[in-house]
Amino acid sequence: MVGYIDKIKEISERLLKEGTVEMVIGFQKGTLPMMNTPCFAKTPEDVGNFVWDSHCGINLANYLTDRKEKIGVIAKGCDSRSIVTHITENKIKREQIFVIGAPCKGMMDRHKIASLFETEIRSVAENDGKLIVTAGDGEKTLEKADLLQKNCAVCAHRNPVIHDELAADPVEDQKDVDRYADVREIETMPPAEKWDYFDDLFSACIRCYACRNACPLCYCPTCFVDESQPQWVGKSTDPIDTKTFHFLRAYHCAGRCTDCGSCERACPMGINMRMLTKKLEKDCIDAFGWEPGLDLNQRPPLDTYKMDDPEDFIK
Amino acid sequence: MGIEPGRLHFSWISSAEATKFVDVVTQVTDAVRALGPHENFVKHMPKVA
Amino acid sequence: MSTEWEPKIVAFFCNWCTYGAADLAGVSRMQYPPNIRAIRIPCAGRMSPKFILAAFRNGADGVWVSG
Repeated sequence: MVGYIDKIKEISERLLKEGTVEMVIGFQKGTLPMMNTPCFAKTPEDVGNFVWDSHCGINLANYLTDRKEKIGVIAKGCDSRSIVTHITENKIKREQIFVIGAPCKGMMDRHKIASLFETEIRSVAENDGKLIVTAGDGEKTLEKADLLQKNCAVCAHRNPVIHDELAADPVEDQKDVDRYADVREIETMPPAEKWDYFDDLFSACIRCYACRNACPLCYCPTCFVDESQPQWVGKSTDPIDTKTFHFLRAYHCAGRCTDCGSCERACPMGINMRMLTKKLEKDCIDAFGWEPGLDLNQRPPLDTYKMDDPEDFIK
Repeated sequence: MGIEPGRLHFSWISSAEATKFVDVVTQVTDAVRALGPHENFVKHMPKVA
Repeated sequence: MSTEWEPKIVAFFCNWCTYGAADLAGVSRMQYPPNIRAIRIPCAGRMSPKFILAAFRNGADGVWVSG
């Protein structure tokens, strides 16, 4: 995985030199370990800042919305599906983007790694499936496979769906992953128990909207939480308002979410709001046989009408 | 998500189906009545004197 | 006034379908429970999940969407 970077740099440099694109979006080292930030390279020299390791969890499709110029973008499997969603939703044109595909074996769960240490993590290096983490209270060598982001552990589309060039050979997709074990578990709970579960899940939320901002799907010019006339949801951390925010945000992502995990990754409180988006993802598969972002030519289920759409919930 | 499914109903009634309308109102009311008052998802506003 | 609890149901009716049916039920003097609070929407397509959550949040005991 670390080896990708040379190829990524080479492609990006070439694209910028030839003028095929005006900008390449990739990752650069963040100010904190495990927090790589997006890097917008506009000259071939900028490409030198690019990095690629197991902490590039941010979904770069987020930065494509309504752009007018030609853009090169580095895309993992989930990013590429979000790009497809962007194209089908007319947020960017296919001709405008040059997708540098990066087959991905999963990104690291920064919350989980941080929880293994008492003190702040100072540096993280990686080497052949291992992470060497140095914190104030010592150094530990950890197995990468144990520390995958939760969405990466159950990822079924590791290779980019669309790409103009690949940075490495496609990786083998995970077979027989049970994506919805946790969702099914909650589905069987009686309402009161469900209520307690979600009450507990969102009790830590501080309404910072990092999840919304990190989400490539949340591109509305005015988000419903920022509307004041009418005000659909209060702005405090009142538990009902918090839940209204999370429930509605999840609904807005129904049939569009590619489970890239950006929301959970961005959350400073480590809330697993993917439980909601995953439930709707499962419902979309069950009701419409739809997985988002796999095909450029197929319209999403919520903007098409079929005679055999399920309607058994209607009296 | 913790609201009983019986509290939310969907139906399709044409403008000529007054009888069906009456039937469904009765059904919906009975279903909600059976569940009792809804308390979970209500936002309690601070009382202003 | 009786103190017994009566459910409050917020009902979203499509202007062209159920609202018409409700109107017809009214002019035909049919009897039905008085627990619904009808809200007319221009079309069932105007419906949005946030209406449902807003109703529950403001104390509705039930919500009924009818096209």
